[in-house]
Amino acid sequence: MLDIDLHYSWQQKGGVHTNVFRSHYKAHIGEGLTSILGKSGEGKSTLLTLLGGFVQGRGSIQYYGRELIKLAPDERPVTNLFQQDNLFPQLTVWQNIAIGLSNSLRLTDAQMQTVNWALERTKLTAYANSKPDELSGGQAQRVAIARAISRAAVGDSSSKKSILLLDEPFSALDPKLRMDMMLLVKELTQQLSLTTLLVSHFPDEVKTIGGQFLLIEGGSVVLQDSVELLSAENIPVALHTYLK
Amino acid sequence: MSILSWRVVPAAIVIAVFIAVGIASLGALFLVQTDEGSWLTVLSAPYIWRLLSFSLWQAFLSTVISIGFAIPLTSVLLHRQFIGRDLLLQLFSLSLVVPTLVAILGIVVIYGRYGLLSTFLQGIGVEVDIPLYGLFGILLAHVFFNMPLAVRILMQSCTLIPASQLRLSYQLGFSRWHVFRWIEWPYMKKSLPSIFMLIFMLCFSSFAVVLSLGGGPKSSTLEVAIYQALRYEFDIPKASLLSILQVAVCSLVAFFVYRFTPMVWQDLSLTTNQIDHTKDSSVSKIIDMSILTLALLFLLPPFVAIFTPAFSMLFIETLLAKPTWLAVWISIKIALPSMLLCLIIAFSFATVARFFIGKSIVSQRSWYWLANTLEHSGNIILMIPSLVMATGLFLLLYPLGLSFEFGYYVIVWVNAVMTLPFVLRVLLPTLYQQERRYHFLYTALKIRGWKKFKLEWPLIRASVGQASAYAVILSLGDMGVIALFGSQELLSLPLYLFQLIGSYRLEQGACIAVLLIGICLILFYFCTHFIGGKNARY
Repeated sequence: MLDIDLHYSWQQKGGVHTNVFRSHYKAHIGEGLTSILGKSGEGKSTLLTLLGGFVQGRGSIQYYGRELIKLAPDERPVTNLFQQDNLFPQLTVWQNIAIGLSNSLRLTDAQMQTVNWALERTKLTAYANSKPDELSGGQAQRVAIARAISRAAVGDSSSKKSILLLDEPFSALDPKLRMDMMLLVKELTQQLSLTTLLVSHFPDEVKTIGGQFLLIEGGSVVLQDSVELLSAENIPVALHTYLK
Repeated sequence: MSILSWRVVPAAIVIAVFIAVGIASLGALFLVQTDEGSWLTVLSAPYIWRLLSFSLWQAFLSTVISIGFAIPLTSVLLHRQFIGRDLLLQLFSLSLVVPTLVAILGIVVIYGRYGLLSTFLQGIGVEVDIPLYGLFGILLAHVFFNMPLAVRILMQSCTLIPASQLRLSYQLGFSRWHVFRWIEWPYMKKSLPSIFMLIFMLCFSSFAVVLSLGGGPKSSTLEVAIYQALRYEFDIPKASLLSILQVAVCSLVAFFVYRFTPMVWQDLSLTTNQIDHTKDSSVSKIIDMSILTLALLFLLPPFVAIFTPAFSMLFIETLLAKPTWLAVWISIKIALPSMLLCLIIAFSFATVARFFIGKSIVSQRSWYWLANTLEHSGNIILMIPSLVMATGLFLLLYPLGLSFEFGYYVIVWVNAVMTLPFVLRVLLPTLYQQERRYHFLYTALKIRGWKKFKLEWPLIRASVGQASAYAVILSLGDMGVIALFGSQELLSLPLYLFQLIGSYRLEQGACIAVLLIGICLILFYFCTHFIGGKNARY
């Protein structure tokens, strides 16, 4: 269970005026897939940035009772997938996954096996020695997923990186490929018991992959429910406003 | 539809004149009346080959040492925040425009035989004779100038690192070393060939440094030899041959720059990273501190040393002397028209290049290559050292009976043309961006010419201000062409300073240096603040 009660504010520059944007995220997120919905500029990516530890918020982030707020990004049980630049262009696919387990690329036998397993799970074994620029967009994002699951698979319960944060990493892919990737994420989330948060702009796709969803508005979680609510006839006003 | 619109014809004419003068001055070098025998005689002289090999060797060493220091220093500056960091970075950006002679004076004051370092070492009982005049001095000065330049370009390359890669490195718990190895180094590596070539070319055609610190024919370069052949021996065939040799080597280097240097694209996903989460350790702290201390010890003292005479009576005396103000007047008389000319040529390049970018946007055919070619043709100037260009112009004017008397105009023209690559580099990206973003809007609203310039002014003035500052300061501090055409009537501040250093009047020289820096700073401030406005960049 991921319990969030986070405050964060930043300055928004627009023309001659500078506004202070204040956000307060409060949610109890269970294991499995949770999609984050909301209009542009409402603070979806900020939530993931805060959870990753790249900016410092106030409050609390508890993961199964363990407080994460004071931890550095690498000490948190988190792996972020960004919209782009998730891979190091100078490293091969295999090395890009391995670097998630050992920065010096000196791996133990067990770690090597994990890398190979992650390659298999993401159907990338044939590309192990390829460089990122030789891959398609979908393959490149699969490498990033492979690194994320390899980090989630090794270590004990405290060192496993079992929170996966995806900030629209598939937005540049075509709809079919994007759906395939989301289904792959769903499958891996279930198999590895991950807590996955996925920012999406496509409510229809979110309906297909299932799980929970959070609706973000003005830097706050205004609604949290099962994705089935998206197909319901009577929906809350906030959701109606977002969907119309 | 014709290739050129009548609206860009005036700009095209300016470019045509610029190219024609360039070709004519190069052509003049080849057309010097000389029999085959004398060419062969000059070419077969071991002296020429010694000159060439020394020019190449000192340029190679200077480049390797400059880059070798710049790489770790860049990494330190990227990671460490300390008091004075911004000041240091500004000092680095100024290195490009600090008059060469001023820095040379600073080096002599610190590292010379009776310099502060020798005095200090003698004070503690260490007898060291620092061989400042010769290869060591040349290397010292070249590293002093080019290491900050390399740091600046490397830092620029590292700003291309996507924010998400840095975040990734924080999440993966990279140490200081791993951030350098996996993230910074690959980005630095990409710009190394172009930095190598740029610095190599600058050192290969270095003139004032070799003339001041070379210490004699043993440590002379082609550029200095051209100057000596013209100024002292008046051996025109020899000067033209040496110039051709110089251009040939520079062209070869330039060919490699454009052929083998990968393009570094600006990443649009850039965001500023506010917090550096790189894992730190005592060892990396000690290493970083040592690198920084070494760099500061090397770079700061020469700058500080030349300011000491500012508090003496001699400074006031020098300031009030007539030759000083005559030199100030000559310097300004050269620098301002030169800046104006440079801006006219640069805007002409920009106008024609923008026209072709606009054409590419609306037509099926891409004209970007032509815009790029225009941009590069401005840069081609780097292949032709100022002294060579001046020699060519001299040879053009000589048969017309206009030689040294026409020197002022040659100096203004050559200075304008030599600063062009730097000005284009600042100006073109901003102007290109305007065209790409607003081309359709301009076309739809029929905004052209002067109206367009007025509309764009608030957006481009910062770049124009910076470009003007570069143009005026580079011209003001130039000690290339003025050495060839200068006389007692045409004595600029840098040339006056050179004469004072040459006659070991270092204290008086330091006063002139302070004055020169003062004028540079005033003009820099004027250009960036009055032309550039409050959004001026430095």
